[in-house]
Amino acid sequence: MQKMFKLASKIQCDVLIIGAGGAGLRCAAHILEKRPGTRIIAVTKVAHPQKSHTSTAQGGLAAVDPKDAVDQPIYHMFDTWKGSDCMADQDVVRKIVDAAWEEIVWLENKGMHFTRDEEGRLSKRTFGGHTVRFGEASAFRAVFEADRTGKGIMDNVWGEALKGGVTFLDQTILTELLLQGDRCVGAVLFMEKPGDFMAVSAKATVLSTGGCGQVFRVTTNCRQNTGDAHAVVLQAGLPLMDMEAVQFHPTGIVGPGILASETLRSVGGILRNKDLEPFMARYAPKMKELAPRDLVARAIETEIREGRGILNPDHNIEHVWIDLRHLSDYVHEVQIPEVSGFFKQFMNLNPRTQLCPVRPSNHYQMGGIPTNSFGEVQRSPDTIVSGLYAAGECGCASFHGFNRLGTNSILELITMGRFVGERVVLHLDEAPGALPADAGERTFSQFGGYLELKQKENVEQIREEMRRMMTEQVGVFRTEEGLKTAIQALSAAKDRLREAGLRCKDLRMNQELVQRWELDNLLSVSMVIAQGALRRRESRGGHARSDFPQRRDQFNAHTLAYMVEFGKIRFENRPVNMSIFETKGDHFDKFGLIERKY
Amino acid sequence: MKESYSLTLDVKRYDPDTRISWMQTYRIEAGRILRFTDVLRKINKELDPTLAWNSSCEHAQCGSCSVVINGRPMLACELLVENAVAHFGTTTFTIEPITVAPVLRDLMVDLEKAYDRVHRIRPFIIRPAQNPNQGQEYRISPRVMEGYLEATRCINCFCCATACISSHKGFLGPNAVMASLVRIMDPREDATADRLKQLYSEEGVYRCHSSMACSHVCPKEIDVAHFVALVKEGDFR
Repeated sequence: MQKMFKLASKIQCDVLIIGAGGAGLRCAAHILEKRPGTRIIAVTKVAHPQKSHTSTAQGGLAAVDPKDAVDQPIYHMFDTWKGSDCMADQDVVRKIVDAAWEEIVWLENKGMHFTRDEEGRLSKRTFGGHTVRFGEASAFRAVFEADRTGKGIMDNVWGEALKGGVTFLDQTILTELLLQGDRCVGAVLFMEKPGDFMAVSAKATVLSTGGCGQVFRVTTNCRQNTGDAHAVVLQAGLPLMDMEAVQFHPTGIVGPGILASETLRSVGGILRNKDLEPFMARYAPKMKELAPRDLVARAIETEIREGRGILNPDHNIEHVWIDLRHLSDYVHEVQIPEVSGFFKQFMNLNPRTQLCPVRPSNHYQMGGIPTNSFGEVQRSPDTIVSGLYAAGECGCASFHGFNRLGTNSILELITMGRFVGERVVLHLDEAPGALPADAGERTFSQFGGYLELKQKENVEQIREEMRRMMTEQVGVFRTEEGLKTAIQALSAAKDRLREAGLRCKDLRMNQELVQRWELDNLLSVSMVIAQGALRRRESRGGHARSDFPQRRDQFNAHTLAYMVEFGKIRFENRPVNMSIFETKGDHFDKFGLIERKY
Repeated sequence: MKESYSLTLDVKRYDPDTRISWMQTYRIEAGRILRFTDVLRKINKELDPTLAWNSSCEHAQCGSCSVVINGRPMLACELLVENAVAHFGTTTFTIEPITVAPVLRDLMVDLEKAYDRVHRIRPFIIRPAQNPNQGQEYRISPRVMEGYLEATRCINCFCCATACISSHKGFLGPNAVMASLVRIMDPREDATADRLKQLYSEEGVYRCHSSMACSHVCPKEIDVAHFVALVKEGDFR
């Protein structure tokens, strides 16, 4: 069967950007500003760049305004370090925080519609974990565009990329990275619309494909966030870093997984179980609903596990209630109109008179493709693959360590996108490397296999079971026993997939084919998450082991995981950069191995 | 309150291999608050994995899942089964692709082609206006922004363009006109004359017949026709 396949074309460009969301297109815009006329191809899996996951970010973008008399970059660095549970790399933290305001000005000057105060300056709001004077008071640090900050960023970087002359390949996926020795020379792509394979030679290849939230049953992530670049990187023999560091938001709306923001709890919403008991009092007698995210998420999960959850029959998911009925009309109308609206829109219920179903929802992957502070992809703790870069949620530099603060994600994607652009510009005068003779062979055998397999198993069925199992065993809580069960279940699912062939054999716009391929990617990523979680016998940030509830200094290192063959993982450690602490400048003592307590 | 509904979905299909188009009927039981994207996924799982449809964020923020349901363009991700039954007064639904671009397969259209119209209006600041605060943000009063902010909520789902009686021919379409108007009203844009020239050209607002269908179908409830009318009147600031 695979003999049928061939490369429909081989093309050349200067820069190949895979993933045309916020990070990828910020990178493109920077390159075109510095070097107009650079031939950039931006590839996106979605129908158009504007449909990227970046567009869904709501809250804001953290950045210290130099005109602010109170706030300082060192406070933002401290908050990020503390939030990360001592796993962010301090060189990266410093670089991103220092560049943050420049990026805000860039976005504004290019036309982003930030919300403004009466004087026409950018408004700022406060977010959990962002403080001034090292935790003393809340910082007003996040600029925003109403409740659609991500959309503002996306519209803007897409516009700039378009203006600069980027060539877009929509509905196209990355199936294979092309490496020659220690250099990346391009990639093999599959264009879904014509059903063609294509090899692209590039001086620089940038991975910016987003996260992998679809690993979990309930997630705030888009349908396309299936860890594609993660899986392709593994196949190429390169590592992934800290994949066990997954963030769960305590209150996702059951079914769609949309975020029901923290505001619901801060304005007085009460969490209740199936007996309508306000259970947070048992977990956090003083703070109750206002306890930190991870604690609330674990409390909800415990209620559900111990049989005090409620099953939603339509979505077949268990949840608890958030009770907003006692809140005044003013609160409903003025303080929580959007979230109230989501319950109405997606659950058909009225939060003023009815209980609302919520449960922890996967939100963000802190880990990803390891890079240095320039966004250059690493092949080992101290060597890079030249010509290969990663930025945005799929990359891991690491700015977030093991727990990300709200409003730091879109800051990270926009700054890292630019940093990658800066690095790429330095290499544009180099000659492109030759494509390997066997370019595409791996892809052909993978895709050919899908068409030849028996049609005994159902892809959607396996996918759904995998996501449910990952949520139960590798989600908010983890135990050795559960993780071992998960690893076995993933291997079993991989075996079943060998009998999950396609009914539609035509390659053009074949959704079945792409979903089959995505499931392979999801399984690979899940396996790395589960095994990384099993190896890390401690609790830290988003990684909570109920059998090892404390953080342990012996695990103060990033996990690098290599997996060429499914299930066979080799681990290495990458040290955490503590340069702010080590240079002993002002306030260096705040950047040691501090406790993450609020 | 019914817990679930027995739905009959007549879905328009197209196979690019044989170039045959046909209506296919699926009968499926669906819980009352499932969204149409959930129902389509259920069809993939239980009845037919080959049915192709598009979506991304699935909470009405990206505009990828627009389809025409019983004649009305809408986002499949925000239409709940029980609301659909109540709105259309039936449990039988016809689902067709939107009509502003060629169909690729089944319900998937070539959105890139639909976007050509948006690209034509140049959805960015063409020529930046002088910024008195060099190196800093422009100062823009919220009062000025009020005039166009609503239009920036557009997600280019093309529901309005599908409903628009003229958009299939030479018209830029309501969403593209609105995107250009945003930059005309935005004090940071200097190229307003270029923009107006296009909006008053052959492909511009005079193709609009003021049916106001755009406002009627907009999933974001933007009064699109209002903005098109502003262009017609030449009333911007």
